[in-house]
Amino acid sequence: MDAPTAAAQVKINRWLPYWAVFQADVRQTLQSWVYRTWVFVSVLVTVGYSLYRYGAEHEAGILQSASHLVSDLLRWTLLGSVTLIIVLTVGSISSERGTMADSILSRGISRYQYFLGKWHARLVTILATFFVLGAAALVSCHFLLHEDLSLIGSVAALVMVAALLAVVSTCGVTVSALTNSTVVGITALWVAVYGVGIVLSFLTRSTPSPTWLLQVLPNVLHGHFSWYTVARFVGWSALTSAVAAVFGLGYFSRRDV
Amino acid sequence: MADNASDLVVETYKLTKIYQNRQIALNDVTLRIEPGCVLGLLGPNGAGKTTLLRLVLGLHRPTAGWVRAFGRFMTTNAADLRRRIGYIPTNPQFPRHLTPISYLDYMARLFGLPRDVRKPRLASLIRAVDLLEASGQRIAGFSNGMTARLAVATSLINEPDLLIWDEPTHGLDPEARRSMLELIKSLSREKTLIVSSHNLGDIDEVCNHAAVLSRGQLIYCGTLQDLKGRMRRNHYELDLEGEQKAITKSANLIKALQDFKSVNLRHRRLELYLNDEAVNSSALANVLMTLSDNKVSLVSIRSVGQQTEQAFLDLVEKEESRGFARLYQVDDAA
Repeated sequence: MDAPTAAAQVKINRWLPYWAVFQADVRQTLQSWVYRTWVFVSVLVTVGYSLYRYGAEHEAGILQSASHLVSDLLRWTLLGSVTLIIVLTVGSISSERGTMADSILSRGISRYQYFLGKWHARLVTILATFFVLGAAALVSCHFLLHEDLSLIGSVAALVMVAALLAVVSTCGVTVSALTNSTVVGITALWVAVYGVGIVLSFLTRSTPSPTWLLQVLPNVLHGHFSWYTVARFVGWSALTSAVAAVFGLGYFSRRDV
Repeated sequence: MADNASDLVVETYKLTKIYQNRQIALNDVTLRIEPGCVLGLLGPNGAGKTTLLRLVLGLHRPTAGWVRAFGRFMTTNAADLRRRIGYIPTNPQFPRHLTPISYLDYMARLFGLPRDVRKPRLASLIRAVDLLEASGQRIAGFSNGMTARLAVATSLINEPDLLIWDEPTHGLDPEARRSMLELIKSLSREKTLIVSSHNLGDIDEVCNHAAVLSRGQLIYCGTLQDLKGRMRRNHYELDLEGEQKAITKSANLIKALQDFKSVNLRHRRLELYLNDEAVNSSALANVLMTLSDNKVSLVSIRSVGQQTEQAFLDLVEKEESRGFARLYQVDDAA
């Protein structure tokens, strides 16, 4: 092996490490079996349920409203997909401990950039996938079933569910930064998410919560909603995400890897 | 010695690491590494070598004390300091699905190197470490030697001023090991290196300074020559030439000398074991006089045993035999 020769001083792009982690993580997420399982199951359920409703309307002549179908699909997304999203996000940092983390964190990247890169990559991948699947479901319902959807209401419903998924994704990455064991992290977050969901269901009907969202979804899809309510729900979700991320960021920047 | 602290490449002060209040991995390590130094980090398994390296890199946070690199405090977020360091961990692992080109490109981006710098650099590094043929293959199919060469290329991608290599010859075949040692020698002309190794022969060959850790404590830090100077030189081998009768007679006369606890003659090779109290120069002078008187020629004389290894083992043995006396050294130093 020959020793390479030294070169002149180069201009460093300070955000390139963040961008490198972001891109690598998006690629890694898209190739993971958890992500592919989530997409496959979601597509399967959406197509199967849509065809069942389509058959009921066109063969049996029973009127099937698109808003009910979309509402059901979004409800299942919240209740079912959350588990896979937890698995997908909790492994983001905790699965890269040890020598693999050494190989990355011993380079010219700060812990902040590494955490932000991972968080944003998972968030973007999950939300983009959700919006694509959700939009596809809305379009198919528009053509297959009795059309009672409002375009604005549909967008608002997708945004509200996406806000909730963002909270779960952020909490997943945060837990990933706190724990050494992915299995322990998944278990803890799963119990916490569903536990908090149950606790929030006891709150008053006017308080924005996952249960409240499930109840108002059909109305929102019809277009019967106020922007203030949507903004308040999205705002609370964004605040919760931000608090969780700051906590995870602060803890991860001070811990041993 | 560097007079100014900012001239030092690495400086640690009372560096201590305790894991979860259960394990003391490193205790009160004060160390100064000057530019151009090639430091061999020695110590038995669990002595704290890797912990020290990880603290220097900012992968771990000290429980007490501090680390400075290039005159500035090392922290977990000190990315600009790590841009000047090249690191090879023990048993480096790589994403198995990537090729060397894509992996080196990723690493170069982690250092913030723009495209027009990183692409030519990774190409020349792949050529330098003889991975040109395998540059399109997945890392999953790499041998230990190829993995080690990729690790070397990775540690040099940012053209660092300081190289920290944790057991770089671990698991390499003799040819790859020789190649690695030659690389370290050539790099040492322009860079500062910290090399941790279990193989004391490697340290002896490439390093000019040594630091010895034992159970988390730094028990020696200085030049390799000084370390060797601490060795008890009490075992010599002499190859002789002359009549066998004269050689046997000389051996018997030497056995009668009080300086030696054991004298063995095997054909024409004389093995001498000195007493602990004996002064080796005068004892050997007596031996040479005896040989000369009996008209026996000396072909060669050598001190037996790997010097660095012997000195290292002596140090660790002494440290462990001191028991509670260790405490007094701390007080004395204070």
